[in-house]
Amino acid sequence: MAVCIAVIAKENYPLYIRSVATQNELKFHYTVHTSLDVVEEKISSVGKALGDQRELYLGLLYPTEDYKMFRKLHNSFTDVMCNPFYNPGDPIQSKAFNGVVSGMMVQTG
Amino acid sequence: MAQCVQSVQEFLQDSFVPMVAVLCSKEADRVSRKNKLSFPELLRPFCRLLSEGHIRDPNNQLQTVKNLRICVNAVTTNPVSSPAVLSPAQYRQLGEVVSSCQPLEGAAATSFKTGDYNLNLSVTTPWFEAYRENFLQSMPASEHEFLNHYLACLLVVSSTEAVPVEQFLKLSQEQHRIQHSGEYTHPRWFIPNTLKYYVLLHDLSEGDEQRAETVYEDMKQRYGSQGCYLLKINSRAVSAEEDEQIPDPWSQYLHKNNLRYQVSLVIGSLSLRPPAGISIQSLFWFLNDACSPTSRTDTEGVAPVAVGRGSCLTLNDHDRIRQFVQEFTFRGLLPHIEKNIRQLNDQLVSRKGLSRSLFTATKKWFGGGKAPEKGMSEPKSACGLLYPPEAPELQIRKMADLCFLVQHYELAYSCYHTAKKDFLSDQALLYAAGALEMAAVSAFLQGGGARPYPAHYMDTAIQKYRDDCRNMVLAERCALLSAEILKNQGKYSEAATLLIKMTSEDSDLRSALLLEQAAHCFINMRSPMVRKFAFHMILAGHRFSKAGQRKHALRCYSQAMQVYKDRGWSLAEDHINFTIGRQSFTLGQPESAVTAFRQILNDDSKQTATQQAAFLREYLYVHKLAQCLMPRGLPQLPLPCILSAATRVYFGHEPRLAQGEKQAATHVSLDQEYDPELSAMWSRLEEQLVAAANRGIVPVGFQPTQCCLNSQTDNLRQPLAVLNEPIIVEVTFRNPLKVSLALSELSLLWRFSPHVSSLSIREPVSEQLTGEVIGNEETLTTPARLKLLPHRTGQLSIVGVTYNLSSSSSETTEGTFKHYSMELVVRGRQDLNIQGPRLNQTKEEKMSVRHGTDRRLDAIITPPMPLMEVFFLHFPSALLCGEIRKAYVEFCNVGAVALCGLRVASTHPEFFTFGCNNPTPSSPASAEHGSAYKTFAATVQPGSVVSEVEVCAQDFSQLSGVLEIPIDGGTLHPGQSIQLPLWLRGPDQEGVHEINFLFYYESTEKGLKVSHRVLRHTVFICASRSLSVQASACRSTAPPQRSADSIGCDGTLVFVDVENVNTSEGGMREFHIVQVSSSSQRWRLHKYINPDKDNDCKLSSREKAKLCFRATPCVPLPGRYCSLSGCAPIISSSTPCRDFFFRCCRGLELQQEDKTSRTGSKNKTVSTPDNCTSDPAAIAKKCNELDLTIIVIWKAFVVEDSKQLILEGQLHVALQTIGKEATSLMPKEEAQEMVLLKFKSDLPPPVALPSPEMSQLIKTNLHYPETFSHGFLQDSLCMVPVTLTLSNCCSAPIEVLIDLRHRSTSAESLEFHSLFSWVGQSQYKLLLRPHEVLSLALRACFFRAGVYNLNTARVFAKPAQQSSMSESNQQAASPALIIINST
Repeated sequence: MAVCIAVIAKENYPLYIRSVATQNELKFHYTVHTSLDVVEEKISSVGKALGDQRELYLGLLYPTEDYKMFRKLHNSFTDVMCNPFYNPGDPIQSKAFNGVVSGMMVQTG
Repeated sequence: MAQCVQSVQEFLQDSFVPMVAVLCSKEADRVSRKNKLSFPELLRPFCRLLSEGHIRDPNNQLQTVKNLRICVNAVTTNPVSSPAVLSPAQYRQLGEVVSSCQPLEGAAATSFKTGDYNLNLSVTTPWFEAYRENFLQSMPASEHEFLNHYLACLLVVSSTEAVPVEQFLKLSQEQHRIQHSGEYTHPRWFIPNTLKYYVLLHDLSEGDEQRAETVYEDMKQRYGSQGCYLLKINSRAVSAEEDEQIPDPWSQYLHKNNLRYQVSLVIGSLSLRPPAGISIQSLFWFLNDACSPTSRTDTEGVAPVAVGRGSCLTLNDHDRIRQFVQEFTFRGLLPHIEKNIRQLNDQLVSRKGLSRSLFTATKKWFGGGKAPEKGMSEPKSACGLLYPPEAPELQIRKMADLCFLVQHYELAYSCYHTAKKDFLSDQALLYAAGALEMAAVSAFLQGGGARPYPAHYMDTAIQKYRDDCRNMVLAERCALLSAEILKNQGKYSEAATLLIKMTSEDSDLRSALLLEQAAHCFINMRSPMVRKFAFHMILAGHRFSKAGQRKHALRCYSQAMQVYKDRGWSLAEDHINFTIGRQSFTLGQPESAVTAFRQILNDDSKQTATQQAAFLREYLYVHKLAQCLMPRGLPQLPLPCILSAATRVYFGHEPRLAQGEKQAATHVSLDQEYDPELSAMWSRLEEQLVAAANRGIVPVGFQPTQCCLNSQTDNLRQPLAVLNEPIIVEVTFRNPLKVSLALSELSLLWRFSPHVSSLSIREPVSEQLTGEVIGNEETLTTPARLKLLPHRTGQLSIVGVTYNLSSSSSETTEGTFKHYSMELVVRGRQDLNIQGPRLNQTKEEKMSVRHGTDRRLDAIITPPMPLMEVFFLHFPSALLCGEIRKAYVEFCNVGAVALCGLRVASTHPEFFTFGCNNPTPSSPASAEHGSAYKTFAATVQPGSVVSEVEVCAQDFSQLSGVLEIPIDGGTLHPGQSIQLPLWLRGPDQEGVHEINFLFYYESTEKGLKVSHRVLRHTVFICASRSLSVQASACRSTAPPQRSADSIGCDGTLVFVDVENVNTSEGGMREFHIVQVSSSSQRWRLHKYINPDKDNDCKLSSREKAKLCFRATPCVPLPGRYCSLSGCAPIISSSTPCRDFFFRCCRGLELQQEDKTSRTGSKNKTVSTPDNCTSDPAAIAKKCNELDLTIIVIWKAFVVEDSKQLILEGQLHVALQTIGKEATSLMPKEEAQEMVLLKFKSDLPPPVALPSPEMSQLIKTNLHYPETFSHGFLQDSLCMVPVTLTLSNCCSAPIEVLIDLRHRSTSAESLEFHSLFSWVGQSQYKLLLRPHEVLSLALRACFFRAGVYNLNTARVFAKPAQQSSMSESNQQAASPALIIINST
């Protein structure tokens, strides 16, 4: 289960970001932002190594990660992108996407 | 890690330098104190050797010593606390060093670009270097290493001493005592027999040089020429004026140490001053400047300290000191070190074989025996076992250190390496860590690729220092060295990890500095990690602020901000901004604090309400203080948002709604929504009015008056405002936050420039415009209305609004709120920048985003104009259809100028009238009844016909919906008011009607900017059904009267059906038909033919009555009236009745015209009489044309509030043609709309005219005796003479064909016709002149008695000269029966 899920645009601004506890929100935002460096590093290394292989999953940033979680999230994200009324680059406000994310979040309370 | 001024090699070399102790005699100290410097301080700037030295290693190889520095310190025997931690004083000093070292203003900030990030960074971090230098210098000497143990001791004695040699002896003894007595632990000594160097200090200004020379000679004898020196200083007297400026080499070495003292001094003197906005931080800056002697010396308290340092020294003296240090190092120190290395080497070599085995053997034997020393009981033993000072392992280490100090890194490395192995095998962790550290450093310094740099040595060393020995100071030193080396090798990632690992809770300053360096490492990587940089900068900033280093904290946050800014990371951004704001505020930079806080309170803040409230409070607080500190105008406030486009401007007074029973004109108000259709309607009305005022021509530059400007109106021109009339600006505020804001004391900001060309004398403009408070609390979107009253002509532009902003919390009560808001109220302004509509005309405009101009806030104030107010009295809101009601209207000029040209236009001109210009005096009867109608004074016999002729017309021909209002003299002077009667007539159609009036007036002065003014009024009238009048006319079949007034054949019967269609249950009692009038140019109602002579025609609900009249043609005259009955006949030709009649007709015509113009292709039905002859259709039409309008005047008895009321009204029915029915209720217009949907082309007009029109060209009458007796027995044939009268109804000659023959085919006629026949000429062809009556004598022949229909003759007619047309059958009259009796 996740505590914070974020979708980041390729210009590195958040399309969607949500975390469980509100009191730690700032911390999570900082963490997500900082981890973008790692993601960038991975992207550059993958780009060199695998060429045009369409593997979207970059691997683990931290040793706890669920592969299924990514696929689920990515499918939902694809749905959002397929929405003709969604303007690419806008923050995601889809209810369905929100629901999927909620399902993956740690249930609190 | 940031770039450093020193290279790595320099840094490492300078970190470990030979230490030299100094012992001074009192006298020598006094001599050097003349320069306000102690002896070690005196030497310090000259401790770096500029020339190369040489040394021979144990293998007799010559080794060069380059760029060597020595460190000279006075011997202090103060016990030092545990070497594992720094003392609080040391920490304080480090903190001061860091805070005193700030980036310079405008220091070279390199712009750094990576990806889409553009950062401005300071590449160097001098505060870190200062910290590092200070930290390394303040390292306490430890027993596991010898690098910072004293190698030599300078014994300094002044030449002024009585017996200098004795003093030398004393000092020497003291040195010996310190080193060997065991009383003191602190100054640690490298080697037991420390090098003693004897220095005779000679003061040139006071001492006897000769004597000094002799003493020196003596010393040379005693200590050898290599072990002593004569140093001559102070060539200048103290009193000597400073006429030459000597560079001050001490400044960069000494001020840091003096700083603390100086600061306290300055603070002491400063506390007397009023607490100005100067912070302590800026004082440091101030001090740094002051400390250099070249700077101003007038600063109190600081000057005496700074001035006079080295004042007794000339440049020659500097050279002498430098020479002395060089001499000491090369002749004394280096040979001493060389000797010791050699000695140690020999020792080690000789012991090698034996000692190694011996020691390992003893270790095996006493393996358990050493265990207690490792125990945790003693703090020092925590790091492993302790060696006695003479232990061979330590000898190796000592030799390694010596080699290191003289830059023989190769030998040093091998020694360290060996030592390391020994220490590790002995589990002497502290020693091992030290050896590892130095091994790594010397391996690195060896350079040249001889040996790969053992990075793991460093890691192990740090880990051992930190974890095993708990010695953070050493661990930190090791980390600093290691990080610097890693940085040099480009291993930024490792360096960052190392630095981050070193951060801990115990020292915020250290953590902050290390985190900052780590951040710099991230940004310096080959693929820069910008975000990690930013994050660690934030962490560093946090630690800095915890350590009290506010400036550094602020700098860190600001740098991190560059990464987070405007990238959607709003939470992080807000956090940083908030911190920046706080730090800036505490640093006395309220302006930047305000800027930072402003950015938090932006539009789409994702913070929670409580957080926002906190931000807001902080912002207001900071803002208020900032304003107090440096008031400079009104600040721009970020909150609340102003929806500029929604700004509305209203010119004029706010309309009053009612004044007692007077009802004011609605005009325009800000409360109304803008409706483009409505405004188009108003502008159409205004155009009509303007056209009427300018003799039918609309001026070229006509612009409809706009009282209320908003985003949809045309704002391209500057609006015109009138002097002394308010301008109301409605500003719409939106609160983007989740907490409520309180605004108070809103007022407008404006700019005014008087016209140069205007007539008014130019005076300085004082505060003539006043703002007014309207709104004070906002939650979401609230408009606030602000009023501005111009007192002078000129150009006024409204710039913005100013207001007091405070946060309002809902839970506070009224009283506390007041108090609260007193504290946190900020006055500020916001500008109104209104963008015009987006342009979308040209391609360029479509491609880019361009906006038009919007000048609704730039008003021109014009000289005074008249201002009219209109009030209505007794104005009804509900009327019956056709009801006439009298109301009063009052015009009042409240302006300062007389008005004239009063006109009104309306969408429903038939609704009202002001009456005629010369009102006839009303009869007393009507006055009694309160009737709107005038009656004849004399009662007329009921049922009689009153006929009168009215010359009307010209008054009404000009009608175009515009009505001039008849006021006396045509002008209304200021303050004057006039009341006029106003008749209203209920609309003919039931329902709610919106009726718009537009009053127009001008100033009596001409040539003004504002040519006219208008006033709007809208009323809603609810019309309910009253009577339905249907009328039809038919030609009377009776033969034309031979009376005098009959000209032609005609006589028309008019039937009027009146039905009470009122549906309201209560109140309405009954309707009385009071009078029926007619209006026509050619006809008049002649006779009332009511069947039962019942003149009182009353109709209750749903009742119907039929009235029958005969109309006779008359001389064409504009109007004739026929009254029906009533107590007193109403003069239907007088004001209300006549006016409404003509207005209605006009309205109908307008509608008709409107229709034709709308359908466009419709045939022109109106044609001149000349054409009539040629156009058969027209002839036929003309023939049937009636053009008679019936006016039914009624009274209704209504009970309302148990009071009987009499309502009066009139209905009009226009009879156009004979045979067609007309009704008072307007037919619904539907057909017009359908045309648009028709795609078929219109059918071509039929060639053969339809019979109904053409069949009435000729009227036929048969004259015959009704009964005829004939003796059939006598004569079988009965001949009866019959006269056929043909009368031409048309005004054109008609060809008539009469066929008397039977139509055998007709079945019904068989009955009669077969039994009689016409005799004589059976077919006639005649030509009838217009309106000619012609009689034909015919004879009918009957064969037997019976009843016969004589009307068998067929009459065909066609207009003459229309050869192409066939004759059409004329309408057969009703059967003409004849009774033939047989006798």
